[in-house]
Amino acid sequence: MQGYFNQIFAIVWKDFLTERKTRELFSSMFVFAVLVIIIFIFSVDLSITRANEVGPGVMWVAIFFSGAIGLNRSFMLEKENGCMQGLLLTPADRTAIYFGKLISNLGFLTLMEAFILPVFMVFFNIDILPHLFPLLLVIFLGTLGFCAIGTLLASLAANLKTRDIMLPILLYPLMVPIAIASVRMTGEILAGEPLSEMLNWMGLVVCFDFIFIGAAVMTIDHILEE
Amino acid sequence: MTPSPASTVEPAIEVKKICKSFGFRRAVSNLSFEVQRGEFLTIFGANGAGKTTLLNILSGRTRPSSGMAMVAGYDVTQANPKMRKEIGVISHATCLYPDLTPLENLEFYAKMYGLDQPADCAEKAVDGAGLKKRRHDPVRTFSRGMLQRLTIARATLHQPSILFLDEPFTGLDPLASGALKDYLRTLHTDQRTLLMTTHDISCGLEMGSQIAVQIDGRFAMMEPNNGIDPVAFESRYLNLITGGK
Repeated sequence: MQGYFNQIFAIVWKDFLTERKTRELFSSMFVFAVLVIIIFIFSVDLSITRANEVGPGVMWVAIFFSGAIGLNRSFMLEKENGCMQGLLLTPADRTAIYFGKLISNLGFLTLMEAFILPVFMVFFNIDILPHLFPLLLVIFLGTLGFCAIGTLLASLAANLKTRDIMLPILLYPLMVPIAIASVRMTGEILAGEPLSEMLNWMGLVVCFDFIFIGAAVMTIDHILEE
Repeated sequence: MTPSPASTVEPAIEVKKICKSFGFRRAVSNLSFEVQRGEFLTIFGANGAGKTTLLNILSGRTRPSSGMAMVAGYDVTQANPKMRKEIGVISHATCLYPDLTPLENLEFYAKMYGLDQPADCAEKAVDGAGLKKRRHDPVRTFSRGMLQRLTIARATLHQPSILFLDEPFTGLDPLASGALKDYLRTLHTDQRTLLMTTHDISCGLEMGSQIAVQIDGRFAMMEPNNGIDPVAFESRYLNLITGGK
């Protein structure tokens, strides 16, 4: 078991080391997310619309769209020079490869969110600090679900010529339940509702997180097979 | 290097009637052969003869359509991690991360193979590949010869008992080619089993203890190399691949 976790963290270490050197992933995700927020700011008249109602949707659109860029790039790295082949030739369990990539993607997206939240706060003039803990919990659960299914689909799309198009086509329809629940919960949190008032939505997101991770564990062997 | 218990009693590689089809095209057709432990099998063949597909099947990367293949005593279709510990693969792809240094690349693979002291293993392997001076440079700045040396270091990092080499001399200058030959000889004298595909007749004959010619997915010949004359073999080989035309 120790070896299994060592392999997972070896993949995470390698991904973060590569990112530290190239800074390709984080910069492209962050710039894209900021652009999404800025475009929405100019297209919505905040003097008429309440920021609390529009803001959560904009924030999650920025997270999901920029996240797709990160997912695509994360498996492109493995396709370069046939690195995925090298990885598959090691005795590592396929699920260890999946969990390694999942944790890396989750780490990059969480880091990006840490930078995007203040931007969101400033542009939408929303004070998130009083609701920080429940908001972070909701963001984490939504991001986990997105990365769980996104990592699986990115590994599938990496073998396709049309991977850039295929990933969003496959990913976004499956993300609908998590997207709806996350946006609704974020809206309610910003409106001052306690977490106990949204346990149904929370349960839905947690269920989908488990379903996506379970589906990935069951199918990753076949997906990574040539 | 300690050979696996299975490999001391069984052939290192045992292939029985394997076939592999891609759609209607047969890349490997009803192929059967054995390679004993410590042997060096060189496989010659024209492009598209199915050499790479055969290597992919033996290394567990491609599932055969039918037939059975055992490598180091393990069924290749079972995706067995124990089998993957016993084999090393050098293919057309380097399998190296271009933005990482040789040390970082090999340390990563050492961790994935579950080796003790991965950093030390990587350091030794980089020194062994003669890349000590460049050990902190990103791999993307390396020449073809340096990349090939590092690829071999990666493939042999976990001391595999069986090594698959897919056209390892492609793109190497005579100096790098000579160095690679010396290294492969060292591996061979170390009682490892090597299976190499190549187009280079003189090189393949020089290295191999067994010689095979693959045509249309099957072996047209397989015999021990008892000092085969390269000139005579070349005309025989051309005769085989052109069908005597």
